[in-house]
Amino acid sequence: MNNQMSVIVRTITRITYGLTIVFGFYVIMHGHLTPGGGFQGGAVVASAFALLLVAFGTAGLKGKLNHHLLQTLEEVGALAFLGLAFAGIGTAFFANLLANSGAVFGGAVPAGPNAGVLNSGGTLPFMNWAVGLKVMTGIASILIAMLIGLRKEAAE
Amino acid sequence: MKRAVLAAVFLFVAAFLLLAAAQMRPFGSPASALMDDYFLANAQAEVAANNVVTAVVFDYRGFDTLGEATVLFAAVVGVLAVFRKLREDER
Amino acid sequence: MIAETIIQVVTLLLIVLGGALAVWFKDLLSSIIALAGASLLVALEFYILQAPDVAIAEAGIGAALTMAIYVVALRRTRRKEKE
Repeated sequence: MNNQMSVIVRTITRITYGLTIVFGFYVIMHGHLTPGGGFQGGAVVASAFALLLVAFGTAGLKGKLNHHLLQTLEEVGALAFLGLAFAGIGTAFFANLLANSGAVFGGAVPAGPNAGVLNSGGTLPFMNWAVGLKVMTGIASILIAMLIGLRKEAAE
Repeated sequence: MKRAVLAAVFLFVAAFLLLAAAQMRPFGSPASALMDDYFLANAQAEVAANNVVTAVVFDYRGFDTLGEATVLFAAVVGVLAVFRKLREDER
Repeated sequence: MIAETIIQVVTLLLIVLGGALAVWFKDLLSSIIALAGASLLVALEFYILQAPDVAIAEAGIGAALTMAIYVVALRRTRRKEKE
């Protein structure tokens, strides 16, 4: 059963999915500087996955990207987020122990309106990556499970 | 009868919404700006992040984000549980 | 200021129009697309109200992902609504 969509949808998807994924990773990476963050960037990347899955169906996956792998990655993201939250438990839960420490992402930002420093934010960039990984793989695994389940139901 | 009840409910809700809209504050003047002023003044020095919204979401109000992550995890587990049942029935 | 008010009023009216079209269409795929258009206009309204974070989330979740899930779900149901 070939559950692809029309040639218009497939062509537009081929053009736009790369740009969408790059923009989503940009939003995650610059989450502590520009509007957006882990959740928003993960949702953008997941929308690119959704576009691919809806346009081409599950035939293009070829078993390489099943929802077991995505589910594992989602749990890795959740545990990384929780671990980063527990890392500051000496002060308080969710305390930012890397900010202004001089370590990685530990730079200070000048006060007032400015363009921002990428090497700043403490644990915020790591949490952005953890939540972004969690959101993108979680939503992609929901869609893959729905598509595979519906296809198997249709094949009965 | 059903149509009259629906019209009554619609008018009731619309009246309350219009009442709320009439009492709305002007844009950009919150009821209490205490926490807003604190976040805007101290987020750059304390969290070293220019995006104050991310500083609030991931640092000052981290528990909210933890709850949101839990909701997403529960949604994923629920959907996978439903469709896994479907696949095992098929075998 | 006047121009901003006009843009906001037009955007809000288009959101209401999108929601009404989503209910009015008998073809459910058109209904989904109208709903996604309304969601995209909600994202535009959030951006006008200076909340770009919420606008990105709304454009990603509301416009793209709900539409994808509805399209996937629509494959196993009827395309047309019964009269």
